[in-house]
Amino acid sequence: MADADLDFTTGDAGASSTFPMQCSALRKNGFVVLKMRPCKIVEMSTSKTGKHGHAKVHMVGIDIFSGKKYEDICPSTHNMDVPNIKRNDYQLIGITDGFLSLLMDNGDVREDLRLPDSDLGKEIESKYEAGEEMLITVLSAMGEEAAVAIKAMTK
Amino acid sequence: MMAAVGAGEVITQLESAAKVLMAPPSMVSNEQRQHAEHIFLSFRKSKSPFAICKHILETSKVDYVLFQAATAIMEAVVREWILLEKSSIESLRTFLLTYVLQRPNLQKYVREQILLAVAVIVKRGSLDKSIDCKGIFHEVSQLISSGNPTVQTLACSILTALLSEFSSSSKTSNIGLSMEFHGSCKRLFQEDDLRQIFMLTVEVLQEFSRRENMNAQMSSVFQRYLALANQVLSWNFLPPNLGRHYIAMFESSQNVMLKPTESWRETFLDSRVMELFFTVHRKIREDSDMAQDSLQCLAQLASMHGPVFPDESAQVNYLARLVEGLLSMINGIEIEDSEAVGISNIISNLITMFPRSNLTAIPSELFNSFVNCLTHLTCSFGRSAALEEVLDKDDMVYMEAYDKLLESWLTLVQDVKHFHKGFFIQHAVQVFNSYIQCHLAAPEGTRNLTANGVASCEEEEEEINELQEDDRELFSDQLASIGMLGRIAADHCIPLLTSLLEDRVTRLHGQLQRHQQHLLASPGSGSVDNKVLDELYEDIHWLILVTGCLLADETQGETPLIPPEIMEYSIKHSTEVDINTTLQVLGSPGEKASSIPGCNRTDSAIRLLSSVLRTSEVESRATRANLTDLLSPQMGKDIVWFLKRWSKTYLLVDEKLYDQISIPFSAAFGADTEGAQWIVGYILEKVINNLSVWSSEPDLANDTVELLVTLVERRERANVVIQCENWWNLAKQFANRTPPLHSLSGSVQRTLMKALVLGGFAHMDSEAKQQYWTEVLQPLQQRFMNVINQENFQQICQEEEVKQEIIATLEALCGIAEATQIDNVVILFNFLMDFLNNCIGLMEIYKNTPETVNLIIEVFVEVAHKQICYLGESKSMKLYEACLTLLQVYSKNNLGRKRVDMSAEEDQYQDLLLIMELLTNLLSKEFIDFSDTDEVFRGQEPGQAADRSVSAADVVLYGVNIVLPLMSQDLLKFPSLCNQYYKLITFICEIFPEKIPQLPDDLFKSLMFSLELGMTSMSSEVSQLCLEALTPLAEQCAKAQETESPLFAATRHFLKLVFDMLVLQKHNTEMTVAAGEALYTLVCLHQAEYSELVESLLSSQQDPVIYQRLADAFNKLTASSSPPTLDRKQKMAFLKSLEEFVATVGGLLCVK
Repeated sequence: MADADLDFTTGDAGASSTFPMQCSALRKNGFVVLKMRPCKIVEMSTSKTGKHGHAKVHMVGIDIFSGKKYEDICPSTHNMDVPNIKRNDYQLIGITDGFLSLLMDNGDVREDLRLPDSDLGKEIESKYEAGEEMLITVLSAMGEEAAVAIKAMTK
Repeated sequence: MMAAVGAGEVITQLESAAKVLMAPPSMVSNEQRQHAEHIFLSFRKSKSPFAICKHILETSKVDYVLFQAATAIMEAVVREWILLEKSSIESLRTFLLTYVLQRPNLQKYVREQILLAVAVIVKRGSLDKSIDCKGIFHEVSQLISSGNPTVQTLACSILTALLSEFSSSSKTSNIGLSMEFHGSCKRLFQEDDLRQIFMLTVEVLQEFSRRENMNAQMSSVFQRYLALANQVLSWNFLPPNLGRHYIAMFESSQNVMLKPTESWRETFLDSRVMELFFTVHRKIREDSDMAQDSLQCLAQLASMHGPVFPDESAQVNYLARLVEGLLSMINGIEIEDSEAVGISNIISNLITMFPRSNLTAIPSELFNSFVNCLTHLTCSFGRSAALEEVLDKDDMVYMEAYDKLLESWLTLVQDVKHFHKGFFIQHAVQVFNSYIQCHLAAPEGTRNLTANGVASCEEEEEEINELQEDDRELFSDQLASIGMLGRIAADHCIPLLTSLLEDRVTRLHGQLQRHQQHLLASPGSGSVDNKVLDELYEDIHWLILVTGCLLADETQGETPLIPPEIMEYSIKHSTEVDINTTLQVLGSPGEKASSIPGCNRTDSAIRLLSSVLRTSEVESRATRANLTDLLSPQMGKDIVWFLKRWSKTYLLVDEKLYDQISIPFSAAFGADTEGAQWIVGYILEKVINNLSVWSSEPDLANDTVELLVTLVERRERANVVIQCENWWNLAKQFANRTPPLHSLSGSVQRTLMKALVLGGFAHMDSEAKQQYWTEVLQPLQQRFMNVINQENFQQICQEEEVKQEIIATLEALCGIAEATQIDNVVILFNFLMDFLNNCIGLMEIYKNTPETVNLIIEVFVEVAHKQICYLGESKSMKLYEACLTLLQVYSKNNLGRKRVDMSAEEDQYQDLLLIMELLTNLLSKEFIDFSDTDEVFRGQEPGQAADRSVSAADVVLYGVNIVLPLMSQDLLKFPSLCNQYYKLITFICEIFPEKIPQLPDDLFKSLMFSLELGMTSMSSEVSQLCLEALTPLAEQCAKAQETESPLFAATRHFLKLVFDMLVLQKHNTEMTVAAGEALYTLVCLHQAEYSELVESLLSSQQDPVIYQRLADAFNKLTASSSPPTLDRKQKMAFLKSLEEFVATVGGLLCVK
C-alpha cells in the first residue's frame, strides 16, 4: 500500500474493500474496521501501561450502516483495516416493493437497493409520492450498500 | 418608634413565615416560600424597628426570627445613623452584648449575627467623634479575665467579628458606605484597636502556655485565641499614604506578608512576643489542627518587613532571634507530618523576605547551623515525599514541604556572591545525593521502598493516560533546583551522574542482549519478565532528567548560555584533560567510555554528555535488532528532550557570548569542528531512526521533530545539517510520502515540513538550493495537482486514501507557512499562493467534512499570521483576494446552517474561531508591517499592480458580516471564542472606524450590543478591549459631525456607561487609562450630557461637605480642558487629572 503512484483514474474493479493502516495514523472522524464492521471513528484516545509502556489506542466507532457503536483498544503499532468507502448519487426513478429504482450514470437501472427502514426511508417515500425529483446518496463499503441521504435535484 | 401594640401580631406573623421557610420543600409551595421571604425582607426594611426587634429578641423562641431581628437592627442602625440619638445607639450596643452574655445557649448562627451587628455598630461609630465605642475593649478584657471558658469564648467571638468587619476584605459586610469610609476605618483600627486585640490575645496565650493540665474546654478556648492571633498576624496592613489601590485590596489579599506600620515597632520587636509563639508551638505541636495555626503565626512573623524595623541592625537582631528560636524548636524533635508544611513556610518566608545582607550579618555560627538544618530538613522531607509517592497518599504534605524548601534553596544560592566561595558546596552535595538516592532503585537508591526498607510489592500494571504530564513538566521546579545545586557542586555531581548513567546503560545493554539471546534460542516463547528492564528505565529516566537540568537551562526564544558554573568547571580541569581522548570518548557512543584508553583524561562535562549519547546508541541498536518492543518510549523521549536542550546551549557554541571559553568545549562542539559535524550527523541519524521506529508513539515522535527544528532553526547549525546526506534522504523520503513517514500524525508531519523548509535556507550554492527545493517543495505541488485534477475527483474525494493525501498536503502547507522568516518569505509566499486558490475549491468539495474545512482555513490563518507583515501592497492584495473568496465560499456553505446543540463542545466551533483568527491576522498588518513597498519582492515582478481591487477593510468587514450573525451570546461563554471575537471587533473599530456607520442596521446594533456586553459583563481583559474600541468610534463621530446618526446616539449611551464605570463602580485600576481615554473623547462629543450626569450625581449628595468635595473634584477634572476638544495635549491633561480625581474621590463614590 501507499505506493508513490496512486492511480485514481481506473474504476473500482478489483480494488480491495479495505487497506491496512498503522493504528497511530488513524484519526478522529476517519474510518476503520471494528469487529468486521466499517465504522466512523468518533473517539480516539491514547494511554499506556505503566510509565515505560508502549502507547495503546482506544477507539470508539459507529457502524456506518447500522449506527451501532463498537469499541476497540490495541497497541498503536498494530495495523488496522480501513474500509474503502464510496459515495455515489443516483437519481430516484421509482419505488417498488420496498426497493428503490435508481438510474445509474451509464443509463442502466438498478433495483437491488432496499428502501431504508428509517426516518430517511419515510422521507424518501413521501417526497417521491409528492412527485419531487431527487438524488439518493448511496454509501458502499465492504460489499455492503445503503442509501444514506437525499439531495434535491439541481436541474 | 414603632408602638409595641402590634408587636405580638408581628411576632406571630414572622414566626409562621419562619416555619414556612424552614419547612421541607415538599411541604410548601413556591409562592408560599416567596411570600415568606418577602415578609422578612419588608420587615428588615421597616423604619426604626429597634423596639420591636428588642421585643422579639426577648420573647421569641424561634431562632430564625431572632436571626432576622439581629439583621434588621444591623441594617437599620447603618441606614438611620444620622437620625439616631448617639445615646440610643450606645444603649442598643450594650443591649445586644448583654443579651448574648446572658444567653450562653443561643444558637451559634444567631449569636454570630448579633455580634456582627455589634461589630458593624462599632465600625460605623469609629469615625464618628460624637460617640465612643471604645468601651467595648474594656468590656472584652473583663470577659477574658473572668476565667470562665464560655465567657472567654464569647469574648473571642466578639474580637473575631470586629477583626473581620474592619479587615476590608471580602469578609466585610455590605453596609452601603464608600470605599473611602472603609479605608479610613481600617487605618484607624490597625493603628490602635488591632493592637489592643493582639495584646489581649497575647495575654491569653501567655496565660494558657503557663498552664500545665488543660481540659478539653480550655484547650478549645486556647485554640480559638491562637486562630485569632493568626488572623491579626495575617492582617493586610494599609500603608500610611492612602493609595487608590486600596480599593482593589478588597478583592485580593491571599498570602499576605506581614508588613506592619511603624507604630507596631514596640509590639513586634518585643522579644517576648516571638518567644511566646515558639513556646506555644512547642506546647501544642502534637495537636495537628492547632499546630497549623501556631506554625502559620511563626511563618507570618518570619515574613515581617517594612517600616517596623527602625534600621538594619534591628532587622538583623530580629532575624537572629527568629533563626535561633526556629533551630531550638526543631532540634531534637521528630517532626510530625502535620508540621512539615508549616516549618517549610517559615523557612521559605524567611529566605524570601530578609535580604542576603541580613543573613550574612547574623552570627556566622548561627547561620551555619541554619543552613545545616535546612539541608537536613530538605533531605529528610525529600525522603518522606518519596514515601508518600510509594504509598500513593492523597495528601502529599511532604511533597509540598519539599517543593517549598527546594524553591528556597534556589532563592538562597542565586545570590551566591554574598557568601564566600564554595560555602554551599557541601550542602548542595547532600541535597543532590539524597534526591538521586530517592529516585534510583535499590540497592543504591531507595525508590519504591517503604519506610522499613521493604520493596513496595504492589506491582500492578497501572494504566497511564496520555493526558498525564511528563515528569519533566510535573517536577520542573524541583528539577531546576536540583540542577542548580548540582552545578554548585559540579565537582561532585557531574562525575556522580556520569558513573551512575554509564553503569545503568551497561546493565541495560547486557539485559537487552540476554533478552535477545533468549528470543533467538526460543523464538515466540512468550513474554519475558520486564521488571529488571523497567527498573533500569526508571533509573535512566531520572538520571537523564537531572543531567539535562544540570547542564543547560530552559529558555524561550533567546539563545541559552552555558551555565557559568559548568564553564568554570570545565576550564578549571582543562589542564588535566586530553583533547584527543575527549573527542574519542565523545565520538564512540557504541563503546563503553571506560574501555577507551586514557578515558580518565576526558573532560567530565563532555563525558557526561557522551554517557547520554551512549544511552541513545544502545536504544538505536536495540531497535535495529528488532527489540523495539522491549524498549521504553519514555526513555526515548528523555533522550531527545536532552539532546534538544543540550544542542540549543552547546552545539556550535558562539564564543563571542562568553568572557572565557573552555578549550575542550570549543574543540568538541565549536564552529567548524569535526566534533560539531559528527554530533549533528549523529543527532540527525537518531531523528531519522526515531521517526521510523517510533511513529506509533505520538509524544516521542513529536519530541523528535522538535529536536529536528532545533537543529535547523539557527542558520549556523542548519549549514552543518544540510551537508549531511541523511538530511537530503529525509527530505526525499518525506516528499515521496513513503513509509514510515506517512504514518506520522498530522502535527508531527507539519513540524517535519517546517524543519525541512527551514533547512532549505541554510547556506548553499544556487545549484544546490535549486535542487533542494525541487526535491522538497515541488513533489508536494505535483502530487497535489495530480489528485485534484483528476476528472473524477468529485466522486473519489471522500475515499480514505484521497482524503489522506489532501490532509497530508494541507498539514504540509501549514508547516511551510510556520517556517516563514523575513529572508525566505519571497519564495514561500509565491509557492503557497498557488495552493491557496486551489484550496478554496476544496472548501466546496469538502463542505460536509468539517475537519478538512478547518484545516483549509488553518492554512490561510497560518499564511496570514506568518507572512502578511512582510508583504507589500500588491502581494497583500493577492492574499486579500484569496481570503475574500474563501470567506465567500464559507459564507455560502454556512448559510442557514444550524448550530442548535448547546451542549456542543468548544471544538465544534473551531471553524468560527479560525475565521476570526484569520480576520484578526489580516488586520494585524495595520500594526506590524515590515514590508517596504514590496522591497523583499523587488525584481520579482515588473511594475506594481496599479488597481487596488480589494482592501483589507473589504475583506475584514465582509468577514464580520459572516461572523456577527453566527456569534450568539451562548457562544461567548467559550473563553477562546469570546476573546478572539472581542479582539477582532476592537481591531476593526480602531482601524476602520469610518466603516462602522456604514454597516447594515442590524449588524450595527449587534456590534454595539456586543461592545456594551463586553464592557459590562465580561472579563477585565475583554472590558479593556471594548473601552479601547470606544475612543476611535467617538472620534469618528466627531469628525463626521452627524448628530443624527445611530453611532452618535450609541456613543451617548456609552458616555453614561463609562461615566458610571469610572466614577461609581469598583473597577480594575489597570483599566483607568483605557476608560479615561474613552470618557474624554465621549465627553468632547456630548458635553451637555456630561454636565447633566455630573449635576445629577451632585444633586444626589446630602452631605454638604461631600457635595463640595465632589463638586471641586469635578471642576478640577475638566479645568485643564474646557471646552474639551480632541486635542492630544488636552487629553493627556485630562487623563492626569482623572488619576487625581479617582484618588481623591474615587473611594467616596464607590460603595460597599
